[in-house]
Amino acid sequence: MNFWETITGSDLTREWKAFESRVEELPPDHRAAWEKITGHLSVYSDFSGRNLMPILDGALGLLEETAADGQSVHDVLGDDIEGFCAALAGGERRRGYRDRWREQLNRNVARKLNQLGG
Amino acid sequence: MDDLTEMLKGTLEGCVLQIVGGEETYGYAITRRLNELGFADVVEGTVYTILLRLEKNGLVQVTKRPSGQGPPRKFYALNDAGRAQLATFWAKWEYVTSRIDKLKEGGE
Repeated sequence: MNFWETITGSDLTREWKAFESRVEELPPDHRAAWEKITGHLSVYSDFSGRNLMPILDGALGLLEETAADGQSVHDVLGDDIEGFCAALAGGERRRGYRDRWREQLNRNVARKLNQLGG
Repeated sequence: MDDLTEMLKGTLEGCVLQIVGGEETYGYAITRRLNELGFADVVEGTVYTILLRLEKNGLVQVTKRPSGQGPPRKFYALNDAGRAQLATFWAKWEYVTSRIDKLKEGGE
């Protein structure tokens, strides 16, 4: 990854494009599962989302393998896609951008309240 | 048996280590083996996350092999650290089961 890619995130766009073309090859229910997985994983993202790329690559690989085996999504992931994503992202919930925003908001509110003398 | 999942959580990693320790194998085969043993709720996704953790902790050796259809499959085998971890798992298991058995029998 060169400096330009780091700054613009163009490498991520390219990787994401590559994911999308792989996803198009999947059967519909596996594709739907992919949508859910990316949704659940997004809360574990750092600001750029770069930390998620290897995780997503692995999850997509699992979907591809199991689709080729003819397994249904339910056979593969069960009922708990959210739990699967939490385990993928490393067990406990990692601090994501939402946590930072929340902290920032809390700090700002606390400061404002102090100014008001509350 | 329903709702075994919670109880299994702490031991599933040991089960996977044991299966991988037998012979080099892959996610689907490990899941099937656990299902045959009676752990019907275990799905491939669960096994996949455990295998990822084992890989990250340097306990397994991973080899990619082409499969008949679809993408290449990842095969897992234990390395020395994995075998040591497996031995530790059985020692802990021994400890826990002996204590719980004692409790059940009403011993001290």
